[in-house]
Amino acid sequence: MSDIKLSNVSKTFGTVSVIDDLTLTVHSGEFLVLLGPSGSGKTTILRMIAGLETIDKGTLEIGGQRCESLPPGQRKVAMVFQNYALYPHMSVSGNMAFGLENIGLDKAEIAARIAAAAKLLEMTSLLDRYPAQLSGGQRQRVAIGRAIVKQPKAFLFDEPLSNLDAALRVRTRVELAQLHQRLQSTVVYVTHDQTEAMTLADRVVVLNNRHVEQIGTPMEIYHRPATRFVASFVGSPAMNFIQVKTKLNGKKMGIVAPSGKWIALPSASITKGDVELGIRPESINIVDRDADATGQVKIIERLGERTLLHVQLDKGPLIIVQDSGLSKLNINSPVKLKFNVSQISLFGPDGKSSLRSAAS
Amino acid sequence: MMGGRFQITRLGAGLLTSLTVLIALAWVFPLYWGVISSLKPEDEVVRPYIELWPQTLTFDHYYSALTKSLIGLWYINSLATAVGVTAITIFSSMLCGYAISQLNFPGRRYLHILILACFMVPTQTLIINHFVLMAHMHLLNTWLGMILPQLIYPVIIIIYKQFFDGVPKEFREAALMDNASEWRIFYRVYMPMNWGITTALAIVVFIWTWNNFLWPFLAATQNETMTVPVGITQVYNAFGVYYARRLAAAVLAALPVVLLYLFFQRQVTQAITLSAGIKG
Repeated sequence: MSDIKLSNVSKTFGTVSVIDDLTLTVHSGEFLVLLGPSGSGKTTILRMIAGLETIDKGTLEIGGQRCESLPPGQRKVAMVFQNYALYPHMSVSGNMAFGLENIGLDKAEIAARIAAAAKLLEMTSLLDRYPAQLSGGQRQRVAIGRAIVKQPKAFLFDEPLSNLDAALRVRTRVELAQLHQRLQSTVVYVTHDQTEAMTLADRVVVLNNRHVEQIGTPMEIYHRPATRFVASFVGSPAMNFIQVKTKLNGKKMGIVAPSGKWIALPSASITKGDVELGIRPESINIVDRDADATGQVKIIERLGERTLLHVQLDKGPLIIVQDSGLSKLNINSPVKLKFNVSQISLFGPDGKSSLRSAAS
Repeated sequence: MMGGRFQITRLGAGLLTSLTVLIALAWVFPLYWGVISSLKPEDEVVRPYIELWPQTLTFDHYYSALTKSLIGLWYINSLATAVGVTAITIFSSMLCGYAISQLNFPGRRYLHILILACFMVPTQTLIINHFVLMAHMHLLNTWLGMILPQLIYPVIIIIYKQFFDGVPKEFREAALMDNASEWRIFYRVYMPMNWGITTALAIVVFIWTWNNFLWPFLAATQNETMTVPVGITQVYNAFGVYYARRLAAAVLAALPVVLLYLFFQRQVTQAITLSAGIKG
C-alpha cells in the first residue's frame, strides 16, 4: 500500500498561484509521469510530494499516512534529482549509506542494503569511487541506488535523464522501465520529454500553465487528446491543425474538408460553426481519388523507415503527412490526401476537444 | 604582414615583462636589504654607501635577538593568539555564513545587512572600548584578552555566505530527503565541501592576526605577554639604535608568515582573490 493522494492541493509563490485545487491519485505500483513544458507546475507537484515545497492548502497522503506537515526525510519517499546531487566528498557507498545512517540503521544492515542495490544496478565495482570519477550514466545509476537502499514507499524522479546524451538516455530509459517492472514500486516521474512519458508511463498527467490538461494512459493521451494543447504537445512531429466548419447533412453531423467535401462524423457534442480539425501525420493517406484535401509537397524529410512530407494545402495551411520510407514523391509534386476519420480530433474555440471519434 | 604584427606583439610582451620585473625588484629590494643588513656587522650597516653584499657575514644579531630578548616567549604568545583567533573566527564565521545563506529565520536579511555594515566601522574606532572592556574583565596581558577583540572578521562571514550561496541547493535538498538534521547537513555535507576555501581563509586569518600590531600593542603592557611584532620594537639598547639587531628581530618575526606563505602560496592567493573587492 504505497499510493499517493493529493486532495485539493493549492500552492502559491507570493501572489502567484502555481497549483490550484489539484486532486490526483498515484496508485500503488504505478509509474505516473508528470509531463509538461517549463513552468507548467510539474516539478512543484513533485517537490510538494517530497516535502521540499510546503502545501498551502489541501492534503497529501502517502501510503495512507497524512504527510503534508511531515519533513521530507520522514515521508518515506526517495528522490532522484536532475543533476543527481551526489555528495562530491563521499564515495559511492558513502553516498548510499548517508541516508541510512541518518535513520540509525546498524552497519551490517547498511552494508547489506548497499550490496543488494549495487548488485541490482550492476555497479558493485564502483562502490569505492567518488562522483567525480564517474561518467554521467554511472552517476545516474548511483543516484537511483541511493534511492533504492532507502526502500521507500515511492520514488520521485525529477527529469533524471535530461543531463545524459541521446544514446545513453535511450539506454537508461529502458533500464528504468526494467527496474520498475522488477521492483513494482510507485513512481512519480517529471519530464518535459514526451518520448520518456510515452515509453515509461502507466499513466501520464499532462500539465500546462499550472493546471492539468489531461490524465490518461499514453495511448489515450496520444490518440484522444482532451485539449488542443495536449494534441500539439504530445507526438513528434506534432498534430496538424486545420480550420474547418461543421455542417449538418440531414440528421448527421459532419465537417467540410478543405476540398469542400463533407465528411460524416460520429454523433457527439460537436461545437457548431468554426472548429479546428486535428489529425496526426500518420493518419493522413496519399490517395489517387476521393481526396479530402489537395496540396503540393514543399519539403521532404527522409527518415529512413518513413518520409515526412510538408504539404501546402491548396485551401488551408502547411501540414505534415507521413509516407512510406521509399516515398517516390518529389518537391512540388501535387498530392491528394485522405484523412482517417477514426483518428480525427476536433477542437472548439475554447481549445477543448468536442469529439472523440475513436471512442464512438 | 603577419610577421610584422608578430614582432610588435613580441615587443609589447617584452616591455611588459621588463616592467613587471622592475616593479618586482622595487618590491623585493627592501626585503633583500633588510635580510642582508641583518647579516652585516653594525658598523657596515651605517656606512654611507651601498654595499649589496656584506663584507663580513655574521649571525651575531640573530644570536643576540634570540638570546637577549624574550622572542621565544613572544613566539609562543603570537602562536597562541593567532591559532586561537584563526580557529574561533573560521568556525564561527562558517556557521554564521551557513546560517545566513541556507537557513530561513526571521531577521536573516537584517543580520546580513548588519554584518555588511560592520565593514564601515574601522577597528581603530573600537580600540578604546575594547581596552576598557578588557581592563574591566581583567583580561589585559592574557591570551584571552588578546584574542577576543580580534575575532571580528566580517569579511570571512561574507565569503562563506557567498560560497554557501553558490553550492547547488540540491545538495541540501538531497540531505533533507536523506533525513539529515540541520547540524548533520552542515557538518557532513557543507563543511567537507569547503575544505579548500577553509584552508585558504584560515591561512590568511592567521597571517593577519600574526601581523596585527595595534591591539596586541595595547593589550600587552608587560614584556612577557607581548606578541612578536610588538616585542621586536623592544629590541633596542640604551646606548642607541642597533639597526642590524632590530632587522634580525624583524626577519625572525616575519619568518613564520613567510614560510606559511611559501608552503601555501596557492591557498593564500585564492583567499586574497576571494576577499578582494569585499574587504573594507
